[in-house]
Amino acid sequence: MTTPANRRGYETPFLTAISIMAYRQVKRFLRMRARMVMALIQPLVWMLFFGLGWSSTLRGPMARQVLGGLSYLEFLAPGVAMMTVFGTSFFAGASVVWDREFGFLKEVLVAPASRKAIILGRALGDSLVAIAQGLVTFAIACALAGRVNLVGLPLLVAAMFLTALAHTSLGIAIGSLVTSMEAFQLIVNLISMPTIFLSGTVFPLKMAPEWMKNLSMLIPLTYGVDAARSATFGGALIPLWLDMAVLSALALALVLLSAKAFERATLA
Amino acid sequence: MSDVIVAEGLTKVFGDLVAVDHVSFRVREGEIFGFLGPNGAGKTTTINMLITLLKPTEGEAWVAGFSVLKEPGEVRKRIGVVFQEPTLDRHLTGWENLWIHGRMYGIDRSELKNRIKRALELVELERWADTVVMNYSGGMMRRLELARTLLCDPEVLFLDEPTLGLDPQTRARIWDYIEALRRDEGITIFITTHYMEEADKLCDRVAIIDHGRIIAIGTPEELKRSLGVGVVYVKLPRAGGASLLAKAVTEAGLADEVRPMKDGQLAIFVEDAPTAIPALFEEAAKLGLTISEVSYRMPTLDDVFLRLTGRGLRDEEAGPLEWMRARMIARMRRRFR
Repeated sequence: MTTPANRRGYETPFLTAISIMAYRQVKRFLRMRARMVMALIQPLVWMLFFGLGWSSTLRGPMARQVLGGLSYLEFLAPGVAMMTVFGTSFFAGASVVWDREFGFLKEVLVAPASRKAIILGRALGDSLVAIAQGLVTFAIACALAGRVNLVGLPLLVAAMFLTALAHTSLGIAIGSLVTSMEAFQLIVNLISMPTIFLSGTVFPLKMAPEWMKNLSMLIPLTYGVDAARSATFGGALIPLWLDMAVLSALALALVLLSAKAFERATLA
Repeated sequence: MSDVIVAEGLTKVFGDLVAVDHVSFRVREGEIFGFLGPNGAGKTTTINMLITLLKPTEGEAWVAGFSVLKEPGEVRKRIGVVFQEPTLDRHLTGWENLWIHGRMYGIDRSELKNRIKRALELVELERWADTVVMNYSGGMMRRLELARTLLCDPEVLFLDEPTLGLDPQTRARIWDYIEALRRDEGITIFITTHYMEEADKLCDRVAIIDHGRIIAIGTPEELKRSLGVGVVYVKLPRAGGASLLAKAVTEAGLADEVRPMKDGQLAIFVEDAPTAIPALFEEAAKLGLTISEVSYRMPTLDDVFLRLTGRGLRDEEAGPLEWMRARMIARMRRRFR
């Protein structure tokens, strides 16, 4: 392209590598309309069929008391929004498996960019996508619940970001270690179902048996959902600052774990 | 240093399998150097060691003056690679693929935009820049990958089976692009192939590789000349006649070498075909054999490979052993990645 005199070695700045990988993940998501639609249909199904179904049962002062002074739809809305963030971000690790399958991973690995930057970029890009999905879901959920709280929005976004970052990283770690899409899906499905129930997205943990409460304290999503409740309509179990501290620590640990897993899986 | 690639005793062992066995060679600046051999010969494994994706079990190599063992980062900055399987993001457009690559290599935005434009022009894909790669043909994907490697102005380009699975027309077009790269950009090019025409037409020098070892190295001309002047193919109607004739021809000193082929033909390596052909008929007549078909051609690299290994280069002529080997290497590569 240029004269030989211009030739030099290339080294990618850390931030450039992060931003370009994030760009790629977002672009790729925008191209896959089907994934976008699917990611919105699931929470809608929860809100409409599950939420509306139960909200006519869980009426009256007793139910309100159990739900921390909220209607069932108000209780469900932040939970379903976080469920979307969780689902989108956790499943995003599948792209590592696809990239290996279709060869794009090799293209990334020969580049003179830090692998940590590559992973962080992927995680950030997928997190952005997950937050966007979560916010759209939340808007729909609020419309159904008939209540809005715009003041808590920045805090909600922050909680979504930490939750997304933790779960994209976990997804990337799993995607790096398995060798097939089937294995990835199996593991993700196995983890997703209990996570969604135990994190208190659809029922209040306050009334759950002690052992279940203890178990849910081990699940990252619990803190995300709880933080989302604090940030919006209330009804949280744990103080917001504690939620955020736990989420931050988890996100950091999982980012490091994913970088390790990715490096281990790709070193010759 | 005028040798852009230097390999010394490069060896890769996967478990029990020696995929590459003490391979040494040098590639000069501005040269198109080819690795010719059947599937499973160790071509891709060699490339993977040179581009720092695989650690050699033994031996050492230098690319663009840097050791692949000690300075893999420096090597990576100076090379471009087109892998055997496409490594494009199929959900993005051609332009986006190039953009991501360029940014990944730290080229700044405005400069990159110019380079992408030129690279796309060079491989004549400007019109397809905004089409999602999923809709490209195989040849277009290869061209896009070539364009992509050019963005960072590499000193050495590694092309692993660049025309695998492409139709002859598309293949010829890819050759033109590769030629142009060497001519106009002065890039040193290392290619692997199992198409002998590709090695013959495109490469300045060729190393013939089989079972992980280099068995001959030189210009296509030198390699073909080493066979003598020609190869005569003889077909006999009766089975068993071929071996009788082969024996008689060898005893009469008519041929340098006689090789029976899978399809029952004989490949007879001779110094001077025009005088050898009548003599062959005489020998056949003496034995009471009839020859049903004779053909003669200038030797090709296929013949060189046949002479050296007793096997043809194409897949269908590879024995079960070669096939197993190719499968084993592919599996090991995945596991050791």
